[in-house]
Amino acid sequence: MLDFGDDIPQLRQTLSSEQIAEYVKSANQVAPRFLSDEGGRKDGLPGQIAPGNMSLALFARLLEGAAANVEVRRISATFRSFVRPRVALVASGVVTDVEERDDGCLLECDLMLETESGERLVTGTGTVFVAQG
Amino acid sequence: MADPLPEIDRDLIGREFDRTVSKPVSAERMIRYARACGETNPRYLEDGPNLVATPTFPITVRRERFVPEGIPMEVMYRGMDAGKDVEIGVVVRPGDVLTGVGSLHDIYDKTGRSGKLRFVVLRMVVTNQRDEMVAVIDQRMMFR
Amino acid sequence: MILDLHAHSNASDDSRAPIEGYLKWLQKKREVVPVDGIVLTEHRQWSSEVDYRDLEDRYDTLILRGAEVETDYGHILLYGVTDEMARRFDFTDVHLRAQEVVTEVDRMGGIATPCHPGRPSIGLCEHYESKPALEGVRAVEALNGGSRRGENERVRGVMDEYGYKGFGGSDAHLVSLIGICATDFAADICDIDGLVRELRDGSYRAVDFRERVRAARG
Repeated sequence: MLDFGDDIPQLRQTLSSEQIAEYVKSANQVAPRFLSDEGGRKDGLPGQIAPGNMSLALFARLLEGAAANVEVRRISATFRSFVRPRVALVASGVVTDVEERDDGCLLECDLMLETESGERLVTGTGTVFVAQG
Repeated sequence: MADPLPEIDRDLIGREFDRTVSKPVSAERMIRYARACGETNPRYLEDGPNLVATPTFPITVRRERFVPEGIPMEVMYRGMDAGKDVEIGVVVRPGDVLTGVGSLHDIYDKTGRSGKLRFVVLRMVVTNQRDEMVAVIDQRMMFR
Repeated sequence: MILDLHAHSNASDDSRAPIEGYLKWLQKKREVVPVDGIVLTEHRQWSSEVDYRDLEDRYDTLILRGAEVETDYGHILLYGVTDEMARRFDFTDVHLRAQEVVTEVDRMGGIATPCHPGRPSIGLCEHYESKPALEGVRAVEALNGGSRRGENERVRGVMDEYGYKGFGGSDAHLVSLIGICATDFAADICDIDGLVRELRDGSYRAVDFRERVRAARG
């Protein structure tokens, strides 16, 4: 059971161009910048980028890995820098508050999505309810 | 010369500008989205009575109108998604009919690494056919 | 005495950190982040009605308040903010004139200190490349916990050229980032007047706890 100050098990992932394209198609969020490098450059970007929502989805997976019987109640994210395909990503989190309830506990967490070299791409927070038992 | 930042009437803040009712959510769509998120938990991937949507599925709900009337879509298209705050309510199950209600929540200026920025916060409240809260999503659009 | 001179609570639009969250974190992580107090420097706002004495007592941590404003020379941290200052300057204006801010805040008994000077566009260093140096600046944020690689390093040159003192702050917007950079003061500080006095004329240096925090997390 996670306690105050504990790290959530990290998630490491490198997104492919195809994964990003599939995500936006499944999420009704198709736009040229999310489909190809050429599409991104036409929008004045360095190339293809992943939508912020995909980082949110990664944070949700990270939070669900925090413990068994987890309900994600809230996720908040600030998209600081572009998330690009073919870049190794590390999603991490730490518990910053624990509130005991009768049937479990509520955990507040700080969340971070960084490159392997430590560049912070997305920061955020999340709240999960961990049921007892 | 750079495009000017969008001028948006602050009187629009708090006013509902869209109410869209979705088609019933299909299991297929829920599973496709979960796979695209990289989910491996069977509760999100196995069709059946226990199938539920992932926590971020509600952000895929699309409104018919993305912005308040009077703001050209071309203006909004220049914006970048700067962040989201998502409060998650009841789970989404196959067959649920979701209603998304959009409103303009806030507008503010600040300066950042890329110069002067304008932030427009759009709120969407998503409910299901039982009028239960599925999600409240605040999206911060950034213009520079 | 070690103080984090630059932190944002959830009163700032881009922070998700409750003040009590910061205090709980500092209480539990004292061995890693030995910070005695924090200064809340919310973006573009000021309220004189806020009182954190109860929290100070409960957590035995000094809580002071300032503000971060936006000017034609980048962002500036104000310490010793008064109602008079808040009337004199519209803190929500992102085009304040930096020289006026520095001069007037000093005249009104506070101190205006450029923050994250090495950052593009909103840091002092870039503006000094094409504009006259500001008069009356005494100290700058030499170490900012939110800056990217190379940005803190850029500040040294400006400090040496203009004789600015340097302090540190986390620029925390998340609970777990409080105190990662801070300022070690030779004197004890127990209120905002004391902080202003020490920043103006005292002895202090920026301190960096980021490696300790990383090592503690393994």
